[in-house]
Amino acid sequence: MLTSSGIHAAAGPSLRAGLAVLLLATAPFGAAAQEYHVDLNADNVVRFISEATIEDFEGVTERIDGFIVLGDGGLVSGATAGSDFYLEVDLGSLDTGIGLRNRHMRDNYLETDRFPYATFSGSFAEVSEGNDGWKRVTGAGDLGIHGVSRSVEVACDVAPAGSGFRARCSFEVLLSDFDIEIPKVMFMKLADEIRLELDFFVTPAHLEGESP
Amino acid sequence: MKAAVNRIVLYSLTALLLTASALTAQERNWERRSAPVDVPVTVFHSPQSANLPTAETLQSGEWLFEISHRFFPAVSEGADALWGFDGPVYNRLGLAYAPTDRLLIGIVRTNLHDNLDLNAKVRIAEGGQGATPWMMGVSGGVAFNTEAPLGADDNEVQAYGQAIFNVLLGDRFAVGVVPSALYNPTIRLATREVDFALGLNAQLYLSEQASFLAEWVVSPTHPDLDPAEFEHDSGSFGIELETGGHFFKVLLTNQIRMNPAQYLAGSLDAFEAGQWRVGFNVTRLLHF
Repeated sequence: MLTSSGIHAAAGPSLRAGLAVLLLATAPFGAAAQEYHVDLNADNVVRFISEATIEDFEGVTERIDGFIVLGDGGLVSGATAGSDFYLEVDLGSLDTGIGLRNRHMRDNYLETDRFPYATFSGSFAEVSEGNDGWKRVTGAGDLGIHGVSRSVEVACDVAPAGSGFRARCSFEVLLSDFDIEIPKVMFMKLADEIRLELDFFVTPAHLEGESP
Repeated sequence: MKAAVNRIVLYSLTALLLTASALTAQERNWERRSAPVDVPVTVFHSPQSANLPTAETLQSGEWLFEISHRFFPAVSEGADALWGFDGPVYNRLGLAYAPTDRLLIGIVRTNLHDNLDLNAKVRIAEGGQGATPWMMGVSGGVAFNTEAPLGADDNEVQAYGQAIFNVLLGDRFAVGVVPSALYNPTIRLATREVDFALGLNAQLYLSEQASFLAEWVVSPTHPDLDPAEFEHDSGSFGIELETGGHFFKVLLTNQIRMNPAQYLAGSLDAFEAGQWRVGFNVTRLLHF
């Protein structure tokens, strides 16, 4: 029977050196890191909310996908090492309730034929305790919309849900920061500042396809 | 012997660690699980041209409210008639609802004979996304003339059916062909026949907000009517502005009748510059 002490006893200098190299090579994939994928079967929702002077409206979609990797510490206050994430939203699926306005959003502003996804990738900057079992997680990374990438910090509330987590995020962006031009005519009713709200669920990648 | 054990242990551990590493790396190797959603085919942006229907429908749950005017005086009457804007006008109010993405049901009323029109339109098929978008539909309706003119029965009924073929050429030029059948086109006559008309319409999209539109309706002649109130074909042209929830059409036309049971029968005036009238259609899309 080969035990860890047995290995240590049996290992000569060359074996120990080989093990060291192997462990270093595989260090980025530490066994404690856990990857989660967006649960496509959950009630995910992403809202793009425009609050203009004349008219408010929101574009809604459930088509969010991506992954979150929690580092060695998991979702623990103060522990952010080894974490990263990538999220994307299918902008062509945004529904404002009016087909014509959807087409204007797709064709005039977001140009979804060229830039079909809004993406957000980065890592956790901070994890702290929130209220009612939620944790406050700050993510810092690059937000990509309309082919333009901007560095942003986004605060999300995250709580355990089933075998994974539920995340709720809200933040504002300026369309002008992403080279999206709003026609300067009186009857256009799209605000430059858009509030994005994300509410989505992730499950461990190895349980993908199973109910949480 | 010790060296052999070392090699065995090292190889075994290598295999284990590489396997574990590969598995972990595979977990991180997230892949997109679906392609971007297919966007709907669009040919004409609006569900209607000046008068003719397009095959475009609304999104399920949407409402469409319409107010349209056709001014009586001709633009050629000049300043005395404020270049046609003095009125009076034929007025049309309409409301439509989309129970599904493909079905549009509506009611429109014009003050010409207080014609009340109950209608429906179905988008049957579409395709050509990314190449030459096309769309087909049918529409039909029943109209009641609740203020019947001399010679007509009270609430005299008319009916019509239209096939709609639309295609978009070169991303900007939409063309429509609308063969139509009309039952009881001349309510002032005792005879109740079925006539056929052919609608043709086109729209050139200058941008996502502005376009030129034109339409022509070839109508049957009715020489037995005096005056020949349906003698001429109908022509309209103008501009359309669209926002996220509105279509604004401003038109010049020789046809001041707006409901299908009326404009399909023909026009009193010829399509000549001296007979052009001003008209507008304003539609508002709503979602509650």
